[in-house]
Amino acid sequence: MDKTLTSFIATLRNADVRISPAETLDALNAVELTGYRDREFLKNTLALVLPKTADEKDTYDTTFEQFFRFAEVSGESSTTLAADGEEGEGEGDGERQGQGDGQGGSAGQTKPTNSKRKARPRFSAVGEEDKEEEEDLGSGEISNPVSALGKLLMQDSRVELSVQMADAAKEVNLDEIQVFTQKGLYTRRIMDQMGLPDLLKEVSALKQSFNLPDRRLAQELKKRQEWLREQVRDYVERQFLLHADATGMRLREELLRKIKLSNVEHRNFRLIQEIVYRMAKRLVTMHSQRKKVFKRGTLNVPRTLRRNMSYDGHIFDLQWKSVKVDRPKVFAICDVSGSVANYARFMLMFLYALEEVMPKVRSFAFSSDLAEVTELFERNKIEDAISKTLRDFGGGSTDYGQALVDFKKKCLDDVDNRTTIIILGDARNNYGDCKQDILQEIYQRSKRVIWLNPEPRNTWNTGDAEMRKYTPYVHQAEECNSLIHLERTVGNLLKTVQ
Amino acid sequence: MTDIQKLAESVDSLKDSFEDHRYICSNQIATAVYLAYHLRKPVLIEGPPGVGKTELAKTTATMFALPLIRLQCYEGLDEAKAIYEWKYGKQLLYTQVLKETLDEVLQGATGFRESVNRLHEFGDIFFSEEFMEPRPLLKALQEEDGCVLLIDEVDKSDHEFESLLLEILSDFQVSIPEIGTVKARAEPPMVFLTSNNTREISDALKRRCLHLYIPFPDVDLEQKIIHARVPEIPPQLRTQLVTFIQELRDMDLKKVPAISETIDWARTLLLLHTESLDPELVRETLNVILKFQEDIDNIDHEISTLTQKAVSAN
Repeated sequence: MDKTLTSFIATLRNADVRISPAETLDALNAVELTGYRDREFLKNTLALVLPKTADEKDTYDTTFEQFFRFAEVSGESSTTLAADGEEGEGEGDGERQGQGDGQGGSAGQTKPTNSKRKARPRFSAVGEEDKEEEEDLGSGEISNPVSALGKLLMQDSRVELSVQMADAAKEVNLDEIQVFTQKGLYTRRIMDQMGLPDLLKEVSALKQSFNLPDRRLAQELKKRQEWLREQVRDYVERQFLLHADATGMRLREELLRKIKLSNVEHRNFRLIQEIVYRMAKRLVTMHSQRKKVFKRGTLNVPRTLRRNMSYDGHIFDLQWKSVKVDRPKVFAICDVSGSVANYARFMLMFLYALEEVMPKVRSFAFSSDLAEVTELFERNKIEDAISKTLRDFGGGSTDYGQALVDFKKKCLDDVDNRTTIIILGDARNNYGDCKQDILQEIYQRSKRVIWLNPEPRNTWNTGDAEMRKYTPYVHQAEECNSLIHLERTVGNLLKTVQ
Repeated sequence: MTDIQKLAESVDSLKDSFEDHRYICSNQIATAVYLAYHLRKPVLIEGPPGVGKTELAKTTATMFALPLIRLQCYEGLDEAKAIYEWKYGKQLLYTQVLKETLDEVLQGATGFRESVNRLHEFGDIFFSEEFMEPRPLLKALQEEDGCVLLIDEVDKSDHEFESLLLEILSDFQVSIPEIGTVKARAEPPMVFLTSNNTREISDALKRRCLHLYIPFPDVDLEQKIIHARVPEIPPQLRTQLVTFIQELRDMDLKKVPAISETIDWARTLLLLHTESLDPELVRETLNVILKFQEDIDNIDHEISTLTQKAVSAN
């Protein structure tokens, strides 16, 4: 049973729930106490021990449903077999008994496995074409199968079958499965490995036969073969979840981290957002040990007296009232015109995901005129705020000069020596007036001005791009067009602003 | 078998007993208490404000007839307020007493070295339990028959304090430099920590706890809760107001009403001798459930539709 639990934990880890060995031990202890009998109880129990955030609980719920699915449909023999497939390799027989018991309990009715097995294909497994041509042969004598798989199927020996299945899976290297489209392929391969071709031959031969018991056998074998296919599919599915789902996912994430943000397709936004949050979370934990910056203030008399009582009232350890320093500020000025919009989207997402460790962020969006969107972000969810920003300010041709003028008018007075200003844009000004003198003014007043340009460095001055005029007045100009770039920039930012 | 053991025998018996104490809980919550008792692990309770996190600890204490020791966390909370503090006044007096007896102690001693040796022999109780003022955490460990320790709103405390908690949470002991390690008496306390998630609790702390997330209850559970808390309210009105609140929770609000607000509202309506919800009444009593003027303004034009829905839910 421990094996079931550890493989469940492995599956959870694959699904990005972080579980430490200590928690695994806790889970083992807890399960020892509660047992596997009551499914809901088990679920509640493990939900307390394994997932430790609300998000993880959601993941846990779905994973649990998938993983322990066999217990739900437990009246059916298929479940037992699927479970055995998991454990059959090592601890075949003894385990099976326990499993069967548990199911009987939750299903409320326990029929002998044998009859269940025969009943099952009628519900689901039989293909349509089978139903049409199936003739009613009545019950009666059945011939004996010849092929190896046929014999196995007619033996009703689940353990044997599951051992065979696991062996076949090993033979075809099931653990190398990578993407979900391979599921069919591997199912087929395992079936073949188990001797499907022979069985098929036998079945078609039997169908031709005029002998009634033979034809009955053919029908029965067909049914059982379909049933076996389901089992194998299930098995592959579970192995896939165990091994490959996360690997495939990781592959995609790895790609998304490096891809140019403007090329990200809409369907990947959700995933990207998750990655951004995860990256942000890492940065949060890295920077959350907030350094306490206290200014020494006036003498704290009561505290000093209390502290020094242990020195017989001689006052030599002085206590000061501390003054907390104002939080530094970050201003983000984003070009949200067509070409740069996507970058703005992700940078804002990043900045606001860092709320916990990030100083107060004020954000501004412009294409020609500049407007403050801070409030929009405070009142709405990040995604909504971003799409609203892009909708309201996105159109129009870029005019950096005008944007700078607007910025000066609106809030240059708020810029002080603890303010970091991030400008995101390609500096393509449509040959307009650059007004770099305003940027100079900002540069002189602020602590730091960072310009993030999504274009590669060598195109910074081509065409109507004006980076050359702006770079003297920024502390740092970076190329920034992928999540990795963003993470690095924001990470550095955190180091300096705190 | 003691009473506590009998109560904690199964999840169902716990759940029933909670109900007897007018705390209606889901299976998940009862399981948490069951595991906390049997595995002797602290429970970290998270969830939106007002879903009964603190109440759970309190009810557990009354149910098990154990004393409740509560530590309210805030920024700047340190060990002097959470674990122990020296009784400085008494220590001062002690040194003065010591000064007076100094002559006796040192009588006949020759040379500085011998005097110091004499002093050492005299036995020093300056830093001893006599002069120690136990604070909640230490007090909880010293309870003979166990107790319920509630560390409330742990997310409000500093990071350093969280690390301070680790020792007591995993081993039920605290180390005091001057004295040594103080271990829990025979029966370790049941520990509940609550958090509103204003900041992420560290992984180290989470790892040592069972993690219970209490969400807003569904309609049935909330009805039961209202029934238990405000039994006088007529069933028809109860259904209406619960439906109304549930609808409200799906809306885009700055602060959605929690269970405590539902209970308050139920009491309010009871006080006004209400039979059934109507838009005018809802408008007038809305400030009981919504705590931001902005939210009240926002749903103002929806009140009649919401009320309609709630009334027809019967």
